Amino acid sequence: MDKNKVTPTQPLVVRIFHWGFALSMVMIVLTGFELHSPFTFLAFNYGNVFVVHMTFAWLALGFVSLRIVDAFIRKDTSFIPKLSDFRGFVGVLAYYLFLRDSLPPGEKYNSGQKFIFFSWFIVFAVATLLGIATYFMGEYLVWVWRLVGGWQIVRTVKFLAAVYFSATILVHIYLSFTEDLSRLQAMITGYERQEP
Amino acid sequence: MLSRREFLGLVFKGAVLGNFINLVAPPIHQALAQGEVKKIPVLMIETGTCTGDSISLDNIWPPTFGNILTNLLDWRYDWTMMQSQGSQAYQVLLDTYTKNPYDYILIVQGTIVHRDEGNYNHVGLEDGRLVTGLELVRRLGLKAKYVVAIGSCATFGGPPAGYPNPTQSTGVQKILPERRVINVSGCPAHPDWTMGTLFHLALYGEPELDKFGRPKMFYGETIHNNCERRRYYDQGIFATDIGQKECLYRVGCKGPVTYADCPIRAWNDHINWPVGCNSPCIGCTEPGYPDIMEPFTAHLPDIPFPGGTKITTNNIGFGVLGVTSAAITGHMAASLYKGRLHKNLIKSTAKAKHRPSVMKAKEFHTYRLKHRK
Repeated sequence: MDKNKVTPTQPLVVRIFHWGFALSMVMIVLTGFELHSPFTFLAFNYGNVFVVHMTFAWLALGFVSLRIVDAFIRKDTSFIPKLSDFRGFVGVLAYYLFLRDSLPPGEKYNSGQKFIFFSWFIVFAVATLLGIATYFMGEYLVWVWRLVGGWQIVRTVKFLAAVYFSATILVHIYLSFTEDLSRLQAMITGYERQEP
Repeated sequence: MLSRREFLGLVFKGAVLGNFINLVAPPIHQALAQGEVKKIPVLMIETGTCTGDSISLDNIWPPTFGNILTNLLDWRYDWTMMQSQGSQAYQVLLDTYTKNPYDYILIVQGTIVHRDEGNYNHVGLEDGRLVTGLELVRRLGLKAKYVVAIGSCATFGGPPAGYPNPTQSTGVQKILPERRVINVSGCPAHPDWTMGTLFHLALYGEPELDKFGRPKMFYGETIHNNCERRRYYDQGIFATDIGQKECLYRVGCKGPVTYADCPIRAWNDHINWPVGCNSPCIGCTEPGYPDIMEPFTAHLPDIPFPGGTKITTNNIGFGVLGVTSAAITGHMAASLYKGRLHKNLIKSTAKAKHRPSVMKAKEFHTYRLKHRK
């Protein structure tokens, strides 16, 4: 193995998706919380907050679609958990709880990352479906409205999804900065220094 | 006779002017006099109810509710409104059931009690046997031309079906799955909603319904979209307490999730409506009311946990974010103490063409690059 070689780990499409989706989600969650319970010290024009919320929601949907198409084209399953990841997750958890010194050997992402990344796709899909149904407010996708049992339930589920995103994004940012900065670098430049 | 389009026009015009019944009564009188329509027999069964919908109907003016009962509809059985009582009154119900099958409108007011085969709600006496609401509504409903449930209780269960629902109450549709029940929801139902639906049934048949069986002519738009305080919402000007004149969204108004035309039609002869007197909408026309609308002064419903505890969704959100923040802080402190943070940072930032290995130095919690030969 050439020791001087840097390895490309994050293709351009993944980086575009990552930062685009990150910005979109931050804006969606922040404007969502503002729409949910308006802060008294922020005298925002509420109609504008809603427009920003919706705009970033459509953008996020675009970025996710881009990533899914990219995953199909490159046959990339790196973020999809496999059965072995349930076993590997124990080792990952032990590492984060300081019960072992290093992460168990794994693929591009460890099992903890896979579970969180994959759950984001699922939660995003559910929130998007509910969001679009809310957007059309009974005009289209009425089966979603009926399935869930009314708008009050819809917005409770969306609120809980926002809380889930907020909590997991915090963990993601914390671990990105404290575990391996070269991985963070790879998400900007695309390259990561090779293991010795 | 009025065309259906003209009738729907009067539904809206009556909402704005506050005289819907007054507008539709003369053409219906005329159509009846000319024999273009006939008066449909109406049976009103009250099951588990507070009779609020009858009180609401009695508020019709002008013409009076009595005028409607005798001149516009063939209102045959209604134990709150009829003068006769006992077996004499009940016989009217049985006669209509046997002599006019598939020709009468059954109105149900009140929740359907299921527990112990419905025996906590008796609505009649037949041959010395008490008849339950569950049994009578099902029996009459199967032979009715139309079944109309009025009020929150009859439509979706209402307050009696609230957690923990000791009487195992439900709406009418649950016990009549074979029939399409027309739900005129509300706590109580607005008299225009009930009468408008009945007139539509008498003149043109079943009105266009939404996915919860409610007539779209009255429940086609959210309260929020027609609210007189919508401009405050759009500009982000919110009341911080009930009683203030701005948008009541922050103090729990359920207008954005509730379908009804209250903002236009108003109540008590077009005098006022909840938001008009600075009180938030409590979402009484929606399925799941009151459980999913409570607390009425909060935006989202409390979430029940085993043991009867309820926690507000905001507290759940704050709790999750608080635990996450505490976990991150704790992990960072432990990483500093164990030296993992140093190790990871040195390993991932040291200037080298490849990722270097690190080794523990003699000093406590410090690492240095491992020298290679």
